[in-house]
Amino acid sequence: MLKLSTNKASPQARPRQPADKSPSGLSIVWREIVQDKIALVSFILVAAVTLFVYVTSLLLDQDQIVRVDLFALKQPPSSEFLLGTDQGGRDIFGQLIIGTRNSLTIAIVVTLLTGIIGVLVGLVSGYFGGTIDNLLMRVVDFFMILPFLMVVIAFITAVPNYGITAFTLIMTAFLWLGIAKLIRSKALQEREMEYVQASRTSGSSHLKIMFVQVLPNLSSIIIVTMTLNLAANIGLESGLSFLGFGFPESTPSLGTLVSYARNPQTLEMRWWIWLPASILILVLMLCINNVGQAVKRAADARQRKG
Amino acid sequence: MWRTVARRTTIMIPQIVLLSILVFLLARSMPGDALTGLIDPSIDPAAIEEQRVKLGLNNPWYEQYWDWVTNALQGDLGQSFRFKMPVTDLIGERIANTFWLSLATLVITYLIAIPLGIISGRYNDTLADRMITGYTYIGFAAPLFIFALLMLWAFGFHFGWFPTGGSVAPGMEPGSLSYIMSKLYHLLLPATSMALITTVTTVQLLRSEIIDTKHKDFVHTARAKGASESRIYNRHILRNSLLPIAAFFGYEITGLIGGTVFIESIFSYPGMGELFLSSISVRDFTVVTSLVLLYGIAAILGALLSDLILSMVDPRIRIK
Amino acid sequence: MALLEVRQLKVHFPGRGGWFESRTQPVKAVDGVGFRIEEGQTYGLVGESGSGKTTTGRAIIGLNALTSGSVTFQGQELTLGKRGGKLNFRRDIQMIFQDPYSSLNPKKRLLDIVAEPLRNFERLSPLEEKQRVRELLERVGLSPDSIYKYPHEFSGGQRQRIGIARAIALKPKLIIADEPVSALDLSVQAQVLNFLREIQEEMKLSFLLISHDLGIIRHMCDRIGIMYKGRFVEQGTTEDLFERPQHIYTKRLLSAIPVMDPAKREEQLRFREAVNSEYKEAYERYFDHDGLAYPLKPISATHEVAAPEKG
Repeated sequence: MLKLSTNKASPQARPRQPADKSPSGLSIVWREIVQDKIALVSFILVAAVTLFVYVTSLLLDQDQIVRVDLFALKQPPSSEFLLGTDQGGRDIFGQLIIGTRNSLTIAIVVTLLTGIIGVLVGLVSGYFGGTIDNLLMRVVDFFMILPFLMVVIAFITAVPNYGITAFTLIMTAFLWLGIAKLIRSKALQEREMEYVQASRTSGSSHLKIMFVQVLPNLSSIIIVTMTLNLAANIGLESGLSFLGFGFPESTPSLGTLVSYARNPQTLEMRWWIWLPASILILVLMLCINNVGQAVKRAADARQRKG
Repeated sequence: MWRTVARRTTIMIPQIVLLSILVFLLARSMPGDALTGLIDPSIDPAAIEEQRVKLGLNNPWYEQYWDWVTNALQGDLGQSFRFKMPVTDLIGERIANTFWLSLATLVITYLIAIPLGIISGRYNDTLADRMITGYTYIGFAAPLFIFALLMLWAFGFHFGWFPTGGSVAPGMEPGSLSYIMSKLYHLLLPATSMALITTVTTVQLLRSEIIDTKHKDFVHTARAKGASESRIYNRHILRNSLLPIAAFFGYEITGLIGGTVFIESIFSYPGMGELFLSSISVRDFTVVTSLVLLYGIAAILGALLSDLILSMVDPRIRIK
Repeated sequence: MALLEVRQLKVHFPGRGGWFESRTQPVKAVDGVGFRIEEGQTYGLVGESGSGKTTTGRAIIGLNALTSGSVTFQGQELTLGKRGGKLNFRRDIQMIFQDPYSSLNPKKRLLDIVAEPLRNFERLSPLEEKQRVRELLERVGLSPDSIYKYPHEFSGGQRQRIGIARAIALKPKLIIADEPVSALDLSVQAQVLNFLREIQEEMKLSFLLISHDLGIIRHMCDRIGIMYKGRFVEQGTTEDLFERPQHIYTKRLLSAIPVMDPAKREEQLRFREAVNSEYKEAYERYFDHDGLAYPLKPISATHEVAAPEKG
């Protein structure tokens, strides 16, 4: 599954196929993205931003950016500080680049972790069914009803030695549930297909059937969910950081930058601190969503454009 | 029908028990206990210990849990050390504000959703539909807190059309007309900001429902009978398309819970969400856990409401 | 010695319902069925939908758990090696499925589909494997070059041939065919059926053919068992059943076969009415108070009937 998502990020790297091979899932997805101009622009934009922040952050001196500089407090944009400085004299533009990288990284990690757990649990639960499935889904239902934001914030305050690892784990602990439920319902439909029984009578083990036979049939729904979740996770991280329950201030993220706006003075007078990060969040989420919608259309043959 | 209601309601009981255990464990894992906030640190440790025993704080966890649950059932959720008053009274003050904010948001949500959904569904693939669909795309992707921040910045600070904080202007006499007007005025920007984002799912739902219903046989029959186009829409299509929207109502409540936390924080609106966040920052944990419990119960009730409406609307899911 | 012998096979499913999905009366899908299949022969299981014929087939191959009973294959007890009431899958018994669309994994190439049993039971090099699949495809009348194609590129009849290629890949001795042609067009049905007879002769196969279509059963089978509500009502050679039906239910089934010859329509109609009135009148005698058939009793060397207790 890890392979699926990395493939999605670079769909050019298609496997070589014999000439008479029918289009594979990924090439349909890629064709759909190219057909849809908005999705194509979105894809290029996300790819460009991602590439830019990962490359530039390698060149930046991170320690210097997060170090308090008493001689450059609350400066407006200038040639030295493109977007000015905050109340600790830290360069906002540098924080923006590192923050975007941090936000993207955590969103990707959480998306992959929740994806792996959700697909595994959902697939096993749906494929086997029965009492364990019943029990598991009751638990999943319960946790999905809970007000996510409150519970996550409460957990974050309750955890000793809170840090980025704890943050990632808490997010993951609550976010795999939805994927598991979705995959489970699809696996439940899939196991009724006669090809599953045919695999059984051909002597294949349950494990083999789940991962070799059933999983490929769920690949498009997994890719769609993961793409849309990636966008949602960027929003969640920045939302929590905005409220002060995500990244600590020493580790900038898009959310911590926006949270400067909780100070009315900053909100009103120094837009350069929080507005660029806000717009970046908007653009990233919108673009990833657009790509996700295009992938969704590709998965549903009736809606395909090309 | 009643069987479904009874069955669905009984599922709620273990859910609430599970929630209370979760909240209790959460409360225990938070630093400090009921005494930490109440007592002057200069008091003799032996006296504190005596108090602890008296209050049952050294009992095994299940006894403490039982005490906590029985107290909570009697409306005693403990003391807030910050405000030096019972949590129940404290929440009581704030709950009204959050209730009005939620209500205003819901009203505006449907005021936006129903006309937009109808236009978009009835005239699908026209310019108006494309613009509405574009709006729902953006609204679906945009995080609420960023949008609310932009609204506050633009209409609160830049244009100065709306107040930038509080739930009522200071110095008003409660109950007077100007007091009520001031409350409404303070509600308008936060509620509109939230509604503009939360409404998009309802618009999308209504649009696709109308488009689906348009092609149903009974609509063709009505048209063949010679019913006028407006009658077809008002009497036949709308009536059928609004049912799923009604079913969605309960989930709307669940969605509001998370939304109000952001909105109240951004607009400094003194509701439960704002209380929740400020209590965490001053480590007033009795308030925090009580709020998690209340929000959890509200969410469970919201889900119950949705399922019940859904089972009334859609007879197929009654017998599972 | 029979190739396959089934004795007192029972498959019950737990009933569900009530307030908290509490267990209620089990559904007796198959309730004490026994028959033998000789080598190289075709045994037909007939019945209306819900009569338990499909469940019987699925239990023999191991897709459904047995509640009780025994299955012997070439004199070897299959039930001994069971786990949780399910028989182990074995290379000598294979299955052809009803739906040529859902029985082939849409995401797999023909190579992977046909080679799946080979991969589980034989160790072949990729080259040998490809060669075997090519041969098998050729055997079922498809181009050997289509091993890289996907199932959606084929018609229903062709897809059913792919299913047959998969079933014969391990050179099994018995193939269970569950309504193998009911999803196909009439013109294609005959093709596929004749092809099944061809490979039967060539590979000395035995078939367990499950169908509701008496025409197909008569065309294909040596012996026939007629099922009703999980039990046999009559069993015998094709001639026994079609020429000398004894049980009222068998007669009723036979009377329902449409007749092509217009000259015989009158006659058929009268026959049908006669059977119908006999059915109404004799129903009480032929079925017990639960509407189930009585145990089979032999009336000749090859012919058994679920005869009424007295009469």
